[in-house]
Amino acid sequence: MGKAADLLPGTLDMLILKAVSLKPLHGYGVLLRIRQISGEALEIPQGSLYPALYRLEHQDLITAEWRQSENNRRAKYYTLTAAGRRRLREETDGWNRLASAIAAALNTTPEEV
Amino acid sequence: MWKRLRSLFRALISRRDFEAGMTEELRFHIEQYAGDLVRSGVSPEDAARRARIEFGSLNSVQEDCREARSLHLFDELLRELRYAARLLRKAPGFTATALVTLAICIGANLTIFAAIDSVLLRPLPFPDAGRLVTVFNTYPKAGVDRDGSSLTNYYERRGHISAFTALAIYRYGTAIAGEAGSTEREQITRVSPDFFSTLGIGPVMGRAFTEQETTYQTDGVAILTDAYWRQRFNADPHAIGRQIRVDGLPKTVIGVLPRTFRFLSSEARLYFPLASRPQDRTPQQRHSGGNFTHMIGRLRPGATLTEAQSQIDLQNAALEKDDPEAKMMADAGFRSLVVSLHADHVASIRPTLLLMQAGVLALLLIGTVNLINLLLIRANGRSKELAVRQALGASRRHVVSEAMIETTLLTLVAGLLGCAVGAGGIRLLAVLGAGRLPLGAHIALDARVGLVALGGAIAMGIVLAAPIAWFNLRGHLANAIQSETRGGTSSRAAQHLRHSFIVAQIALSFILLAGAGLLGLSLKRAMAVPPGFRSDHILTGQISLPWSRYPDGPARLAFTERLMQEIGRQPGVSSAGVVTNVPLSGNSGKSAAAVKGHILRPGESPHGHYSYWVGGDYFGALGFGLRAGRFLAAADSRRAERVCVVDEDFARYYWPDASALGQHLFQGSEVRSDAEAFTVVGVVGRVKQAGLTDDAAQGAVYYPYVFRSDNDLFIAARTGLPPESLGLTLQRIVRQLDPDLPVNDVRSMESRIADSLVDRRAPALLAGLFSAIAVLLTAIGTYGVLSYAVAQRRREIGVRMALGARPEQIRGQFFSLALRLLVCGTTLGLIGAWLTGKAMQTVLFHVPALNLATLAGAAAIMGLVSVVACLLPSHRAARISPMEALAGE
Repeated sequence: MGKAADLLPGTLDMLILKAVSLKPLHGYGVLLRIRQISGEALEIPQGSLYPALYRLEHQDLITAEWRQSENNRRAKYYTLTAAGRRRLREETDGWNRLASAIAAALNTTPEEV
Repeated sequence: MWKRLRSLFRALISRRDFEAGMTEELRFHIEQYAGDLVRSGVSPEDAARRARIEFGSLNSVQEDCREARSLHLFDELLRELRYAARLLRKAPGFTATALVTLAICIGANLTIFAAIDSVLLRPLPFPDAGRLVTVFNTYPKAGVDRDGSSLTNYYERRGHISAFTALAIYRYGTAIAGEAGSTEREQITRVSPDFFSTLGIGPVMGRAFTEQETTYQTDGVAILTDAYWRQRFNADPHAIGRQIRVDGLPKTVIGVLPRTFRFLSSEARLYFPLASRPQDRTPQQRHSGGNFTHMIGRLRPGATLTEAQSQIDLQNAALEKDDPEAKMMADAGFRSLVVSLHADHVASIRPTLLLMQAGVLALLLIGTVNLINLLLIRANGRSKELAVRQALGASRRHVVSEAMIETTLLTLVAGLLGCAVGAGGIRLLAVLGAGRLPLGAHIALDARVGLVALGGAIAMGIVLAAPIAWFNLRGHLANAIQSETRGGTSSRAAQHLRHSFIVAQIALSFILLAGAGLLGLSLKRAMAVPPGFRSDHILTGQISLPWSRYPDGPARLAFTERLMQEIGRQPGVSSAGVVTNVPLSGNSGKSAAAVKGHILRPGESPHGHYSYWVGGDYFGALGFGLRAGRFLAAADSRRAERVCVVDEDFARYYWPDASALGQHLFQGSEVRSDAEAFTVVGVVGRVKQAGLTDDAAQGAVYYPYVFRSDNDLFIAARTGLPPESLGLTLQRIVRQLDPDLPVNDVRSMESRIADSLVDRRAPALLAGLFSAIAVLLTAIGTYGVLSYAVAQRRREIGVRMALGARPEQIRGQFFSLALRLLVCGTTLGLIGAWLTGKAMQTVLFHVPALNLATLAGAAAIMGLVSVVACLLPSHRAARISPMEALAGE
């Protein structure tokens, strides 16, 4: 876990939306899922996860529902809403454009100038 | 946005669920994490500890979560509200003073605003009421400013003025309705068929009148108001088609109006068609509008008053070509004016209402200034605490919001109390006779006024907070902390501000006092106007003789003769008479009289004169003054003598150098054959007809009753007993003569005079009340500021006393401060009072803008109040013991 990368500002919301889009998850599950799908590379600070979840719920991008967890305990599960799905698509597109633009910029060689 | 508000709202109303859910969710997370750690080989105790540490501070995460939901703002608000409430509770004296001050000021404003709202602002209760207009004839050069509209006007204009989509004519009147033995005189209105469609509200049950129902043969139909239908028909759903007796004739009910229907301030409970004969609609009748027949119209959408006016002017000019009276009417300045129905109806009360609103706004200003002063003094006392808090990191925003929350809490509570005061104020208005003013019966404290109160209270809270926030933020941190309790040198700016506030208060109170004085003086002068007759010990009542039973002059004369006889027999009655209209009845019709031998001078137009038809000993009953010749007697009517009596104005106007006695005149505007002439046999004193304050020398003519075929008449009887005691007797006598004939409006002449002054008395009383409150508030304000000045200078005074100053010197110092404030305030007040007096001229009667007695009185009251407010503080200052003052701190 030592070499987990720091999150870029603004990417936490996007990652949460992505994690929840795959399957309804509770808060701790979101944490584990992000770690898993990032190949253990991204570590979410535990303290900032919940405010982000509450904010997204407040913006109606995800909804919450109390359900039984896999070990039979009551847990709050988050699901993506239609608005959330739209937002995730926009953010993914935006991120991809940014990433490829930056990659292109960084890969430029002196000959290409 | 909407969704976020909903989410916030849900979190707010189920706040406990929100908190519980959040705690459970976070605990679940930590336990899951700890479980995972245990599974990876950490010992259970270590795992629990590590999970908690890695999660971070639970409290701050929860706070962040709340913030994500905007809940923190509310938490903060609640906290500050609680803090503000605690502070206010801790200073009950201050809180009570502030609340009472504000509640009275807000309540007074709400009362007057409710009146303004229902009378001036709110549209009349008809669809698209802004398009309703009234059209009336005016003959200004003949002294007749307003003369309704005639039937001829209506039939000539209907369908020919394209600026109107609808036009209607109506006539106020009375009728006797009900079965024999239980008849009652009702206010009624006769209307043209398009009356209801012009207004846009028609019967809810049945139908409106038709064109066929406008002749005397076919007008046997009636439309009831909701009130009449409920009272007389027990709200019978099958009332349509039933009959009622009106003036002895059967009428078929064809419609019932909605409950909310009320035309202007009309008390009418029954509506009938306005029937007429063909000869009533001829050009000869064009100028026979009179006091009771009026026209309303509805403007076409997009049409303006100016457009309608020019179309009417054009038509009038075209019609004038073949009008035999055209020349005379042109000389009289004849025009038909189109004005907004609403504005026209409330025009008489408008200036008074606006004046009252200005008065209560001044009161509110005084109260606000007072409160700002008190709040500033209080803020000064807490400046050290605030400085410490600011030094410890309280933000500027926090300091401002704290002040604002405290003052807004105060004004909101005061606003609530103010609503109660306002409700009481509206009751007071009703007691003062507001119901008799145009639309006055509609005045009520409703949701609209409540909303204004709420908005006003919040705005006031912000206004009150501004000076305190400014004071608290003025960055004298170090100064305040270092200084001793006395507060270093008292801030000059704050002191100046307090003093100029007192000056402003004194000036405003002075203006209010002077204004109230002018209104009072004006009322007193109006009351002192002699009405022209002896108004004591006269009982008056109104009768209308139905056409069906009293079809002609002789029948009506016979009735009045018998009535006079019976009344004359009653103990205490010295004389009795009948007249078509008593003075100050609220109606005052003028009509033309042609004087034989009078040649109109160039520029002179025929005059409208008050015209009366009198029977019995009317002049004796009212106590007229006789200037020459004799009064009319009962015998003149009996013998149908062509004689008349004129008043001194009339005599002076037509025969300035000769005697009026023996001269001849004619009813109406033209000189006819000598056989129709009336000979003047007497000249009587001038009587106030329209109102005590009516100064125009209009002239009046009195004819024998038999010459006027009018069925509405007044009885007047002079009695040695209290006049009210004769009331029941009068009704009994009339019932004996004719069981179907009720007597209405039975009142003493003095109460008629008192009522005629209601639009002067009510404002004068209210203004007096307002200025009394203003003076009290100013006294409280001055006292507060001076006491504070004494308390602040305790130490300085102590030092001076120790150095040998005498108590009188100390006392004198504070007296001179109070005197300076008084002089400044009074000077400003004088200027303001002069301007106010000028603005008030329209509502004043024979009172100049600057009245010395009023101003001196106001100055004396302000002086007295300042001295009283200054007494206690300066006395306290003079008694400060040097030892205590110096050692006490």
